[in-house]
Amino acid sequence: MLPTISRRAFVASAAALPFLRIAKARARTPGILTFGLSSYPPSIQPWANTGTAAGTVKLMIHRGLLSYDTKGALRPELAETWARDGSTAWLFKLRNAVFHNGEAVTSADVKWTLEQVAAEKSTAYFRSEMQGVDRIETPDERTVRVVMKQPTATLSQWLASYHLPIISRKSDATQPIGAGPFVLKAQERGVALEVDASPKYYRPGLPKLKGIRAIAYADENLRVAALQAGDVDLIEYVPWQSMEAISNDPKLRLDATDGPFMYLLFNGTKAPFNDARVRKAVAHAIKREDIVKAAFFSRGSPLTHLPIVDSSEFFNPELKEGWKYDLTLAKKLLAEAGYPDGFRCSFLSTAQYGMHKDSAEVVQQNLAAIGIKAELNLPDWATRVTLGNRGQYDLAMGGTAADNNDPDGLANLIDGSLSPSYVRSFGVRVPKIEDLLKAGRAEFDPAKRKTIYKEMESLAIAEAPVVSLAWRSQGYAMQSDVTGFKNLPGALTFNSGLTLEETAVG
Amino acid sequence: MLYYVVRRVGVAVGLVWFVATFVFLAIHLVPGDPAELLLSQGGVAPDPAAVADLREKLGLNQPLLQQYAAYLTALIRGDLGTSLLDDHPVASEIALRLPRTLELIGAAALLAVAVGLPAGTFAALRAGTASDRALSTLAGIALSIPVFVVGTVAILVFAQKLRWVPAGGYVQFGRDPLHHLLVLAMPACTIAVGLAAIIFRMTRSSVLEVLGRDHVRAARARGIAPAQIIMHHVVRNALIPVVTVLGLHLGSLLGGTVLVEYVFNWPGLSGYLVRAVELRDYPEVTGIVLVISILFVLLNLLVDLLYAVLDPRVRHA
Repeated sequence: MLPTISRRAFVASAAALPFLRIAKARARTPGILTFGLSSYPPSIQPWANTGTAAGTVKLMIHRGLLSYDTKGALRPELAETWARDGSTAWLFKLRNAVFHNGEAVTSADVKWTLEQVAAEKSTAYFRSEMQGVDRIETPDERTVRVVMKQPTATLSQWLASYHLPIISRKSDATQPIGAGPFVLKAQERGVALEVDASPKYYRPGLPKLKGIRAIAYADENLRVAALQAGDVDLIEYVPWQSMEAISNDPKLRLDATDGPFMYLLFNGTKAPFNDARVRKAVAHAIKREDIVKAAFFSRGSPLTHLPIVDSSEFFNPELKEGWKYDLTLAKKLLAEAGYPDGFRCSFLSTAQYGMHKDSAEVVQQNLAAIGIKAELNLPDWATRVTLGNRGQYDLAMGGTAADNNDPDGLANLIDGSLSPSYVRSFGVRVPKIEDLLKAGRAEFDPAKRKTIYKEMESLAIAEAPVVSLAWRSQGYAMQSDVTGFKNLPGALTFNSGLTLEETAVG
Repeated sequence: MLYYVVRRVGVAVGLVWFVATFVFLAIHLVPGDPAELLLSQGGVAPDPAAVADLREKLGLNQPLLQQYAAYLTALIRGDLGTSLLDDHPVASEIALRLPRTLELIGAAALLAVAVGLPAGTFAALRAGTASDRALSTLAGIALSIPVFVVGTVAILVFAQKLRWVPAGGYVQFGRDPLHHLLVLAMPACTIAVGLAAIIFRMTRSSVLEVLGRDHVRAARARGIAPAQIIMHHVVRNALIPVVTVLGLHLGSLLGGTVLVEYVFNWPGLSGYLVRAVELRDYPEVTGIVLVISILFVLLNLLVDLLYAVLDPRVRHA
């Protein structure tokens, strides 16, 4: 005879299920941090830039020669010390560190890594920068001498990037062996990644965690819900609309910084935006507070100069209002350029990301006040990238973060001599800016660099190759018992994964 | 009969070829360059030489016709290609994700039938009464609330406030069966809400229609017990249109659970497709759409052949 169950017993046991769950759902595995990523990394190829979620994972398993401390200053990693050596060379002394396979990190591995990055067919983010390397000398196992073709003040910043980790030269192409605090244990494609603490990590006592389970939550609201429900310990990319609720929740903590920013791009190959006066008129016509309010729920701040953070030594207080809201000036500039009644133009943004769309709508309204009728084009992101690269727009919305807090990072946005890209204005060239960027890169004296970049900023404000709009707040949120994790300042926010080695839960 | 079968199979193969070609052209003609996108994640400018090299490596610089020929040849061999992003085989990813979506749809269908069928029959038997009106109103509301609203409210109530279940996610059955079923419950219930309402309405009207038929009246006249009349003479006959409608809806759910998968972070096929389109991962897009269409075509073929078995007139048409 089959065992029977009464209807009442069935209903009762079904109703009890959720309560059985409670204990289990909230039970953490001691020492394991659950990290809610903003997306599943498209690839974790060590030297390619495949997004910030991939960057966070790379910072768990890899380390470069240098990195940043929590204040944003350069700190030693695999290189114990580093110094300039002559006008074009840099000398790095390696520390006693081992890769995950137990073999020592040697100067040969560093040389091999930098050569792979610069190689033909390389898809590395720093490929063109590393092609500026003349030769790499390895006098002994622990010494690397990098000789550049030209004096390069920014080499140390590049080598601190999470796109330049040192990989064992004995790795095969699909299994890069790194020397970071964690070892990749398992990948469930599209769902989650797991890493274990590396017992061989070179900082004694670190990492504090036993491991990390990184789960992709593509939907920002679900990511927040998972944090509030206690499913995850830490999330990245906190949506602006949730920041207030999180900071008011005693069980949670928000760590946010102004790092990435929104800006406008122009097509300089045709009228009307080939005229600097028109670009500058646009710069003065925008009420940036409205963008901060509408797109970022007041979690950001207006930006009326080049995106150099206030805390940077290169910040120029006298230029900070360079593009301030001034309707009279905007109208005057337009009239001088021959457009007293404004004009029609196309305005490219994307509907895929709310911040791009909302910011564009505010700009559109503001421009209408000076007679510029901007017609919005809101395709998906992939199309927006292609149209941007081809210059198929008059005016476009951009959003990005610099690689680091050095003003040379701005070259990506305003150096018109670089190849066409959707992150730069199309065909807007200011030769003097290009010269100053070059000069700044080759100058080692801090005071002289400051002068160079100040001149560059005032020139940029006058010529408006791009127009800054607003800083946006970039936040991490965590359970209040998560310690040691820190959001790095300014443009370095996406390097915050560095602090996972210091992080502990419970 | 053989001629009929051969013709239907021929049409099915033709349809699959048409879909394969159409999807291939559509995704290739839409602007957006996978190499550029892969190297410019996070809004940065990639090195143009690196993009050119990646395009070459991925075979994207060949003429479209040549790419199409390579794609069709591979397809005939049953090879769906590999992802442009990380070289992962598309077929194995679909094999991983399709069962998850089928599981979700299956669980939702079970729940929906379990609720919709008895409720529909009950409402039809009490047609015109207050309870019928109440149930119909409820079904109307259930039908008109979008799934993302149901899903979001469910997360808010059951995960964030009551903390009965995790706020979405996925755990393999083998890893933790109980956890697996718990994370399945919310998305399945969310899909089931709308589906149950459809089944309720269909059952109600169908049962009402059958109730008025002569054979039911005859059965009553013969003095058969009412319960038996309802079970054997009414519901059984009323089921045919319900099953047809259910089948159709399940078919469309195959590619249409994207919102639910997104809201609950369920790593199924629909979410995979949307992500593939966003990143312009051509082999993934064509592979997924092709598999979904083949399932559709097979379903239709099965129905066509079943008709022929059931109704001899179809064979000679």
